[in-house]
Amino acid sequence: MSLKNVLENWSDYRKGHEQGGHHDYEHMWVMAVDLDKCTGCNACSVACYAENNLAVVGKERMMKGQGMHWLRVERYWDEPQIGGDDGQFQSAGGSFLPMMCQHCNAATCEPVCPVAATYHTPDGLNAQVYNRCIGSRYCSNNCPYRLRYFNFFSYYEESWPEPLNQQLNPDLSVRDKGVMEKCTFCVQRIRTAKDTARREGRAVQDGDAVTACAQTCPTQAIVFGDMLDKESRVSKIWAKQQVELGKTKQVKANPELRGYRILEGLNTDPCIMYLDRVREV
Amino acid sequence: MSGNDINRRDFLKFMGLGGAGAVTLSGCDMPTTVTLEEGKEEVVSYLAPEEYVIPGIGVWYASTCQQCPSGCGVHGRVREGRVLKLEGNPDSPVNAGVLCQMGQASLQGHYNPDRITKPMVRKGGNLTEVSWEEAIELVNSKVGAANGKVAMLTGAMSGHQAELMDTYLAKIGGKDHFVYETINNAVAEAVNAEMFGSAQPRYNLDKAGAVLSFGADFLATWVSPMHFSQQYAKFRTGNRGVLIAVEPNMSLTGANADMWVPAKPGTEGVIALGVANVLISKKMVDGSVLPVDALATISQYGVDKVTAETGVGGDVLVRIATYLKERSPSLVLAGASAQSNTGGSQVVAAVNALNILLGNVGKTIGAEDAFPVKSLAPRRGSSAALAAFAKGADAGDYEVAFIYNTNPLYSAPAGLELNGKLAKVGLKVALSMFPDETTLAADVVLPLASPYEDWGTQVPGYLPSEGGLNVQQPLMRPLYSTVKGLGDVLLVLAKAAGAEELNQYADFYAYLQAGFAAMPASIKGGMSDAEFWSKSRQKGFVAVANSQGSLNVKVGDLAQVADKAGSDFPMHLAPAARAGMYDGRNANLPWLQEQPDPITKVFWDSWAELHPSTAAKLGVKEGDFIRVESAQGSLEVQVYVYKGVHPDVVAVPMGRGHDEYGRFASREKGVNPLKLIGGDVDAKSGELALYSTKVRVSKTGRSAEMPRLGGSESQVGRRLVSTVSADVYRRTEGGGNNVA
Amino acid sequence: MLNIRIVSKLFDSGMRVVSRRRGLMALLMACCLGLGSGVAQAEVPNAVAPKGTHSGEHVPQPIDFPHDIHADINGINCMYCHTYARRSKVAGIPPTSKCMGCHSVIATDKPRIQQLTEYWEKNEPPRWKKVHDVPDFVHFTHEKHLQRFVFENEGMNVENVDQVCAFCHGDVKKMTVAEKTKPLTMGFCVRCHEANEGPSDCWHCHK
Repeated sequence: MSLKNVLENWSDYRKGHEQGGHHDYEHMWVMAVDLDKCTGCNACSVACYAENNLAVVGKERMMKGQGMHWLRVERYWDEPQIGGDDGQFQSAGGSFLPMMCQHCNAATCEPVCPVAATYHTPDGLNAQVYNRCIGSRYCSNNCPYRLRYFNFFSYYEESWPEPLNQQLNPDLSVRDKGVMEKCTFCVQRIRTAKDTARREGRAVQDGDAVTACAQTCPTQAIVFGDMLDKESRVSKIWAKQQVELGKTKQVKANPELRGYRILEGLNTDPCIMYLDRVREV
Repeated sequence: MSGNDINRRDFLKFMGLGGAGAVTLSGCDMPTTVTLEEGKEEVVSYLAPEEYVIPGIGVWYASTCQQCPSGCGVHGRVREGRVLKLEGNPDSPVNAGVLCQMGQASLQGHYNPDRITKPMVRKGGNLTEVSWEEAIELVNSKVGAANGKVAMLTGAMSGHQAELMDTYLAKIGGKDHFVYETINNAVAEAVNAEMFGSAQPRYNLDKAGAVLSFGADFLATWVSPMHFSQQYAKFRTGNRGVLIAVEPNMSLTGANADMWVPAKPGTEGVIALGVANVLISKKMVDGSVLPVDALATISQYGVDKVTAETGVGGDVLVRIATYLKERSPSLVLAGASAQSNTGGSQVVAAVNALNILLGNVGKTIGAEDAFPVKSLAPRRGSSAALAAFAKGADAGDYEVAFIYNTNPLYSAPAGLELNGKLAKVGLKVALSMFPDETTLAADVVLPLASPYEDWGTQVPGYLPSEGGLNVQQPLMRPLYSTVKGLGDVLLVLAKAAGAEELNQYADFYAYLQAGFAAMPASIKGGMSDAEFWSKSRQKGFVAVANSQGSLNVKVGDLAQVADKAGSDFPMHLAPAARAGMYDGRNANLPWLQEQPDPITKVFWDSWAELHPSTAAKLGVKEGDFIRVESAQGSLEVQVYVYKGVHPDVVAVPMGRGHDEYGRFASREKGVNPLKLIGGDVDAKSGELALYSTKVRVSKTGRSAEMPRLGGSESQVGRRLVSTVSADVYRRTEGGGNNVA
Repeated sequence: MLNIRIVSKLFDSGMRVVSRRRGLMALLMACCLGLGSGVAQAEVPNAVAPKGTHSGEHVPQPIDFPHDIHADINGINCMYCHTYARRSKVAGIPPTSKCMGCHSVIATDKPRIQQLTEYWEKNEPPRWKKVHDVPDFVHFTHEKHLQRFVFENEGMNVENVDQVCAFCHGDVKKMTVAEKTKPLTMGFCVRCHEANEGPSDCWHCHK
């Protein structure tokens, strides 16, 4: 969508998602993350560093919350659903939560950007256009998941001393200070998959586009794919869990099913569905 | 995106290792922040590329990850002559397409700014850059005069490099090749060999309904984590197995357990026998599978005695026993915290006996597959090897010692007093990529090519069925023209030592190619030599019909060794291994330094884990510095307080606290718990008892903010990570109901 | 014959995106002003003049490669040497082996060829200077443009591919060492995208 389009269709654009979205979507990239399979091992996060030219900022800046981990694995000790942790020990382990941009279809970050540097693509992605970004940080302040990362400094100057810079992925930019960045669902890999399919004269198939995190996940807890492809693995998982896009509250025929979206009640319509962690109780 | 169908043949023709047709292609499409100024950036073409190499399009080549001994297959994405990204090789029987954080970050070792690029020789006390010729000549002359008093100290090895190292060692009359790994499974290997007739039996977590792990962190550091992670995923689907972890402080595996039970290191065997006792006394299993002596021993470990010795209550023992029985077949594993004790062998014996009692042998524990070509088989690491080397060095047995792929001056327990002993070796030759502690203490430093610049083969230490010989091939031309591959260095040395049979090989590549041609027909599967060589490189490994051994169950004495009581040092030290820093080898990889530890979420620095009750007694809270003292020394470190550690244990993970090792390891130093560890060993196997050291913990009064990922540790009632009971899961998705 | 609607006047003075740190405000203003009026502005007040130039500044190259001799006098198709253009995002500098394919026999007495032969014998390709460059946050692919304007373009003959190339690269046939004659700014791209209904999604071209 061009900026012109954004401006001309502003109100549709904000309201559209509940009627299936303003766009004529070509794809709707979504994820399913099984928290019972996720072991919290960090492989996804490091794969993201490798794929997306994420800067290493060092201890001091990490402590100030300036880490650039587009995919961070959160860990909680309490389990509110199965009743507290009053015991003497952490007897059911920890709760791990891989958090990356939720690519909300009604993203709260998008309308507050003064220059439309963040917007929704016809692929259902929440895009961040680095060269358009002026660094107002409104988007980050408006993100309920805290998944946008700001370049407060020129991190790249210290992050890749030669020859580490030779590892940088040429398919996406190295961001300089003053720019907001976040998980893109590995848009460069999606782009490559689409280009390859086009070159081979076929449609994009399930499994052509895989994000770096989903690819490397040792337990394959992350599944990525196109929701518009009814045969894709991910859309089958969503369907099986009776979770639908475009809803503020899911009405499930079987309320015991594990699928849920985080902070769904905020009406952000996130594109990542999580599946409950399971424990013997 | 995967490129497994790319024809891999003739790769080297344009990558330059083959000699003619070298190419450099830096600068082309390299991301920078310089933009849009004509005449500023350079474009360099290929010299003579293969047809399928197209600038702007990544090509994937197969190789093998060297970051730990488990031998995962990787695909490296190569574009414009640079390797950019690694992914698991989907065909690999070890990891089937997935890769852990260490594998992902291994590229930062390859591109590390602190790599050694020139050979060095100690002159007048200082390491001075010299030519390869001079360095090799010095080594040859010293080896020639050593009369066979030569030792090799290496990390885990296998394949053609190991074969060549043996040839060299034999030629110079040396016989001592010490294979040392800090993180190993050596005690269990010794006991398994005795009890099952198989040092490293095959485990099938995916077939188990319940897994009881005594400190075996199979999701992160134990034996073959990526292989077991895949089995774990299957274990958790369908009827969803139950995972029980018993360990001194929470490992990644423990954090995923349904039931986490704290135990003092060394008491795991008592708990295992306690569970066996419950199983027998409650008539859940038939005890007659065990010999009478063993049953007599088990009968002494009644619930009361076990609770008194370990603090684990009878209800917990019964619950564990019930899970193991009801979800049969089960699997019981022993990892570092259980093995690495003065009574470690006895703990493993008790764990194995529990497996036998539960009828798991033959179901979830299978016979080992031995790799048929003996000279290539894995040399698994142990710490007894380091102790033996230290002893030999101290006795003046070695005029020359080669040290490769291990950093003992960092990782040796203080009790071994290695510094002084190593100094008694006349000439220490380090074959190394990085200026680590050991390399900088060497007399000759030979800079090695990175694993992604070098040729080789590996047989994984834990060989899955269908597993075989992994091929390690260069993903790019060496970054520095002055480094050499391990095989090439060994070949030069062996030729100089008079190994005439090697003169026909111009380089290690030729040696390797001949080695493939010489493989038995059963492995080559009817292919011509050229086809076999080409296919193997393309695929990244050679599948081998391994010879299946059989398990012969033999149960010996199960009595547990009591803990040494000492009032000066009341607490146990757990030098926990974590994926990430691992045994310290990854401290120079910034991606891993910046990753918050999965459990404590600490980054870039060390920490000590304390239980809230212990912290309260000491009067410390998160971020306070404590002093941890053993008979060997002391260190000061910040505290992380949580309920995932036994109250009598202070856990300080290893991996940080390097004196040397480049800019990233020394930026934030951290502490090295191994420097508190004494020289105790497991009496039976001779393995260093890393978990037997007792310490005293005191408050320093200093405090600082903890370098920890921010945010609440509680979900404050929100549905962030929501948890449901396994009953609900089985109702909705159990059995064949599962989609994912 | 060429199925590209060429826009007569390109607005080329204001929309030059320069290195972020220096040109941020310029970019912002250019965006706002340009959109405010609904049409592209030929002149944007206060905008920073683009760095570099598109008026054909001579970039010294290791060898003064004569495009005119190859493409004009000898009529060699652009894609004969820039063979990757139809398959990849980059058109690619031809591999040295390709040059030597002809020049191991042709014109071996000429000093430039001798220079080339020297490189070849040293196993070292010449280090060319980039003339046509887009910022690193731009994802441009030659392949798609060639597909659209050459291979899927009815009436377009592959022999005349140089006319398509010339749209962005100028009349290279008449040059020796290639010189930049088109601005290659975002405005330059967008004009053509709008005229030919090319994609207008930001993430199509920005990375």
